[in-house]
Amino acid sequence: MASEANSAVRAARRSDLHALADLRMRFLGAVGHAEPRLRLLADARARTEQTLPVWMGQDDRVLIVAEGEAPDVEEGTPPIVGYAMGLFTTAPPLLQHTHVGEILEIYVLPDARGRGLAGALIDVLTSALTGRGAEVLRSVVPIVGNADVDRIQRAGYSPLQFVLERRLDTV
Amino acid sequence: MEGVPIRNARRGDIPSLLLLWNAMMKEIGAADPRFALHAHAREHQAALFQKWIQDEEHLVVVAEEGGRLVIGFAVASIADGNGWQIPNRLGRISDVYVAPPRRRQGVARRLAGRLLDLLYETDVDTVRLAVAVSNEGAHAFWKSMGWEDLELVLQKDVDSA
Repeated sequence: MASEANSAVRAARRSDLHALADLRMRFLGAVGHAEPRLRLLADARARTEQTLPVWMGQDDRVLIVAEGEAPDVEEGTPPIVGYAMGLFTTAPPLLQHTHVGEILEIYVLPDARGRGLAGALIDVLTSALTGRGAEVLRSVVPIVGNADVDRIQRAGYSPLQFVLERRLDTV
Repeated sequence: MEGVPIRNARRGDIPSLLLLWNAMMKEIGAADPRFALHAHAREHQAALFQKWIQDEEHLVVVAEEGGRLVIGFAVASIADGNGWQIPNRLGRISDVYVAPPRRRQGVARRLAGRLLDLLYETDVDTVRLAVAVSNEGAHAFWKSMGWEDLELVLQKDVDSA
């Protein structure tokens, strides 16, 4: 199933921008629903629409999409049912590995799950970031989303740090 | 030890801050080799302390014993949020460290408390920090102060990819 799913993943194109914005809002909305401390800002959609075209032109950013099953020929290209975004960064010389690949976002529409697309997105993103020179790969996942943590761990990632939060009005 | 003064760091504290920072990183690196230091880490950190002590986006405080010996330090920063999710402005505590012989006397708690007091005076209402998974003592310390888990950072070495 993995190779079949991998073949459904490709680099994002300008023509995907609208669908990508929709998917990203679904992703951020789902995160905010599961973890209210990460809920969406009111202008998140507008910012996403402004920022996606910029991201798409950046060499250090990887934006890939997963295509769903092809519709009939008259409808054209298959729909986008998932996406992932990564970033290659060069960190300051504090820790040994300074070339870091960050897996920032991964999302697959609920109806398209169970076909290995999320794993395929992680595989392709990992390869793309490694190809840019990443020595280590990192992903930050909300703890309430145990499924996301499990998925990332299945891809060979292991826990490094907890991120904790405190509101100052509770001090 | 309850009365060890906590004050804002000064440029003259940088040698002491570097000694403490180095000790902190050695402890963290010994528990988890993924935190092993870069060959140029010390120089880079010295430059960071110089900058942080002067700029308005960073808070550096020290615990000073007997008016001359810096036995602990703590650092926080203030920055914009990511632009998609709350909060709009975010405080981050990046370091809290007390020399081992001076631990279990409330110094770390007082350093953290001072940072929170200073952050409270800014436009920040939410503060985050990261703790190494291998540092169970630090994780328990922050939870005892009312902090709650939010996210998990996971890492994969490319060698094992």
